[in-house]
Amino acid sequence: MKAEYINSFYSATQDVFKLMLDLDVERGKLDVVEGLISSKEANVILGVTGDLKGSILFSFTKSMTLEMVKIMAGMEMNEIDNFVSSALGEVANIVGGNAITNLTEYNYTCDIVPPQVIIGEYRSLSMANEKALVISMNTDIGEFSVSIFLTEK
Amino acid sequence: MMWKEKYRVGVGLIDSQHIELFSRLSNFIQIVQNENDWDEKLDEVKETMAFMQEYVVFHFDDEEKYMEQIDYPHIELHKKIHKDFKDSINDYVNLLQEGGFTEDKIQELGAKLMTWLIMHVGKMDQQIGEYVKEKGGQA
Repeated sequence: MKAEYINSFYSATQDVFKLMLDLDVERGKLDVVEGLISSKEANVILGVTGDLKGSILFSFTKSMTLEMVKIMAGMEMNEIDNFVSSALGEVANIVGGNAITNLTEYNYTCDIVPPQVIIGEYRSLSMANEKALVISMNTDIGEFSVSIFLTEK
Repeated sequence: MMWKEKYRVGVGLIDSQHIELFSRLSNFIQIVQNENDWDEKLDEVKETMAFMQEYVVFHFDDEEKYMEQIDYPHIELHKKIHKDFKDSINDYVNLLQEGGFTEDKIQELGAKLMTWLIMHVGKMDQQIGEYVKEKGGQA
């Protein structure tokens, strides 16, 4: 896993969270895990195609998800309904889009596949033997993680 | 309140229309998200959606006229992005009309409108204000 991938997704996350949510994002620990797994309640998967292939998994707790949508909408959110999950998917999609733009600076040309939002624990079995990198990120409203599973063509 | 002061471009007409646009979207989302029975509020949902759709077109037209007036160099890209957005909303509305206005689909539309508007006004439109300032004009 190259540092370019991590930097591209980390700086895209920072930019989009600042702009859309007024949140500063700090990088926490890095973990290497088998497959894409999340025990958090709200997960968004983005497929990546092109020079790099694979998936990105964004994982948020329920309380952080509700707070993020509250910041954007300016109103209380009580449950993860389709409005909340769609908004979360769009935020991840915008982060992905910005990350793809950042990756072009390292000469990687990629595309992203529209986001898939999964409410509840997520466990991908298809890549059980592969390693993914998990970046923990901290904000004032909670901690979330971005798992990166990418291979070069 | 969905509007934030940081979204201000610095051009009076554009800012007042953006404030109105955020307020209409906020109203739409409030109606979609309130606890009332879906069938009861469907007419109101459709009405506010139509209202907002109209206002988006009205605002884009005014903003594009303003960009022409000031010889904004990125006007073509900006117009294309407006057009793509209008097309995608129209596609959505057509889908809703064909497949029925379900609560899930309307919520999805509300979320897309909100995130698009925040990104567009918060980032792309800000460049108009920066251009005006660079040219020494009062934005």
